[in-house]
Amino acid sequence: MDPQTTKFTIAIVIALIIGIGVGYGIGFGTIRPGVVTVTTTETETVTHYVTQTTPATIVTTLTTPTTIIQAPVTLVVIGPWAGAEMEAFTEVLKAFEREHPNIKVEYRIYRAEDLASVAPPQFAAKMAPGDVIFTAWGWWAKKMGDQGHLLDLSGLVSTDDFIKGIFDPVKSGGKIYGLPFTAWAKPGFWYRKSFFQKHGLEPPKTWDEFLTLLDKLKDILGGPPIVTGDGVGWPISDVTEHFIITFGGTDLQLKLINGEVKFTDPQARSVFEDYLVPLIKEGYFSEPIEWTRALELWWKGDYALYFMGTWITGMVEDPGDLGFFPLPGCKGVVMGTDYIIVPKYTEHKEEALLLAKWLATEGQKVHAGTKAGKFATWLKVSMEDHWKPMQEVFTKLKEMSPMPDLDDTVGGDWQKLFWDQLKLLWVEPGKLDQVLNTLTVNFPKE
Amino acid sequence: MKIGGSALNRFSFLIPGLILITIFVVYPIVATIILSFNINPIPGIDIIGGRSSGLENYYKVLSSPKFINSYGIKTMTFPMGAIIHNIIWIALHLPLTIILGLLLAVLFQHVRGGAIIRSFIFLGMVIPMIVGGLLIQFSFDKDLGVVNLFLKIIGLRWLAKSWTIYPDTALFSLILGSIWLWTGFSVTIYSAGLASIPREIIEAAIVDGADFKTILFKIIVPLLKPVTITVLAMTILWDLKIFDIVYASTQGGPGGASMVLALLMYDYFARVQNYPMAAAVAAILTVITLPVVIIWIKIATKGE
Repeated sequence: MDPQTTKFTIAIVIALIIGIGVGYGIGFGTIRPGVVTVTTTETETVTHYVTQTTPATIVTTLTTPTTIIQAPVTLVVIGPWAGAEMEAFTEVLKAFEREHPNIKVEYRIYRAEDLASVAPPQFAAKMAPGDVIFTAWGWWAKKMGDQGHLLDLSGLVSTDDFIKGIFDPVKSGGKIYGLPFTAWAKPGFWYRKSFFQKHGLEPPKTWDEFLTLLDKLKDILGGPPIVTGDGVGWPISDVTEHFIITFGGTDLQLKLINGEVKFTDPQARSVFEDYLVPLIKEGYFSEPIEWTRALELWWKGDYALYFMGTWITGMVEDPGDLGFFPLPGCKGVVMGTDYIIVPKYTEHKEEALLLAKWLATEGQKVHAGTKAGKFATWLKVSMEDHWKPMQEVFTKLKEMSPMPDLDDTVGGDWQKLFWDQLKLLWVEPGKLDQVLNTLTVNFPKE
Repeated sequence: MKIGGSALNRFSFLIPGLILITIFVVYPIVATIILSFNINPIPGIDIIGGRSSGLENYYKVLSSPKFINSYGIKTMTFPMGAIIHNIIWIALHLPLTIILGLLLAVLFQHVRGGAIIRSFIFLGMVIPMIVGGLLIQFSFDKDLGVVNLFLKIIGLRWLAKSWTIYPDTALFSLILGSIWLWTGFSVTIYSAGLASIPREIIEAAIVDGADFKTILFKIIVPLLKPVTITVLAMTILWDLKIFDIVYASTQGGPGGASMVLALLMYDYFARVQNYPMAAAVAAILTVITLPVVIIWIKIATKGE
């Protein structure tokens, strides 16, 4: 062998050794061992092979409240809440950590729309961005579950203990892919009681009174009285759905969701043409403004009315100054919940399921008592357990029928299209035909 | 010490690089192209979801109004389709970037503090583009935006509105914003080019009585041709793959009025989760960008 070939061979061997060494090092540092030790209070030590544990056995384990997991574990929880909403949710996680000292929880913020983009490729690679994930999109949880990426959570809680129908969006073929957390509602236009008192204004009882109120407010403010929240688009869809439910009835909302009525049908069209579009054209709505900034402007008094969900109660300085009214004649209110899902690829299945179960039950009690502006879907949480301002809101909401959110239920690419087209309508109301046609043509066929 | 060695010896130095390029560049490109024809690039892993293989994705993409909207083109209203929006972007952004870059570089070449001013202009390049997108959104905001403030000051109050939320102005506001972000690049490249022009040539022209216009167009511009080609190629490529600015500020809206090819690809990938369709858009984008790269490389190597 000549000296050059010898050097070449040595170089390759060294490269292989280094490569294998580095690869092994990475693997050693990142891949967890497949065995964890679990000890029960009966001092019996049981060794579980995580990779061999089936969901059924996990459920069985979890129904034994005496199970204590000895090895400290950190769970990653993904949720959409930031700012004041996150502070409220953090109280819930802290309460869990107090009850389960061996489990630490790390919270990460992902908006639902970002999660829907980021998670599927990770799921496809059999990875989980988090151990317990919150999403407001039941359709998405169901889709991921049907694709085999989520654990079946049926049997983890008693569905009878929850608000009726709350599991429907996440049920598929006898399996339940999500547990409900606390709920929110989008009940109507929020106003500051002090502002209304100062100007001698009253919430309207008829459509004409509503129009008169808008005129008065426009004169007082010298500009649009209703601030339009924006972001990726959902606040505009919320106010639109409120008009649909008010003037088309709860039946129309359901038929639009199911695709039984098209947006171009006279019944749906008239809601836009006779009620919503004239208000936009008259300049009663502001340009779309990022929703948290819109909240500040509205609270500051630049605008008088803001259509938003109940979580607004936890985002203002003085919730006692808050009042709301639905559009006169409205019989339904869009309500929804954040679903708790557990990816199949979590490395801490037992702990993740334990946390998911706790959040859906005891965690709701803690959350409902915070300034989150939510109410419990677990029926074992009493009215008195709720934060005081929410008790008043909840009492008012009892008079209205709960309705599913249109775009959250239809989901998929159409949801983004719906938001985008409504933004277009808001700035160019003359394009109503184009908007309704686009929504109809692109509505999911199945 | 002997320099050179056998072909085998020399080739061995290429192996690590070639392996990495094959794994991280060549393989993804080939896999994307295969996937775009509804063929699973990795046997045994189903990505296409039972779709039949063929040109279906290309047909769907090319005939989609999201890609090219004939109604918008006929009526000259937005949306006109992602490919047209990219072309408009290039048509406006490219000449403005080149002209501004050249003029600012010449202007600040001998000005006291020119280097500091150039650094400020270059800031746009330092900012992450996703942040740049948000800054553009704020800059064109009706109440907070510096652009609308300027319009109000110069008496054009009627033009003050949130530009990014109207279909007629959304794309243009993004293009204007991108000029701010990208001009730093062209100024820097042109400044480097100017520094390489021998001072004697300019001085000789001045002695011969040439004015600024003559020096600029007869000496500087021709001598900066290689630099201009680099700026031109890089800007076209940047405009074709523009994504983050649009994603952060308008998400392609309203009503698709600012949709661009890269965002369309992302939408198919992340929102619709139709990976073969996303691969088809990626392949189309590659086909469009490839001639620019080839011509650029040919011209660049010709000089050598």
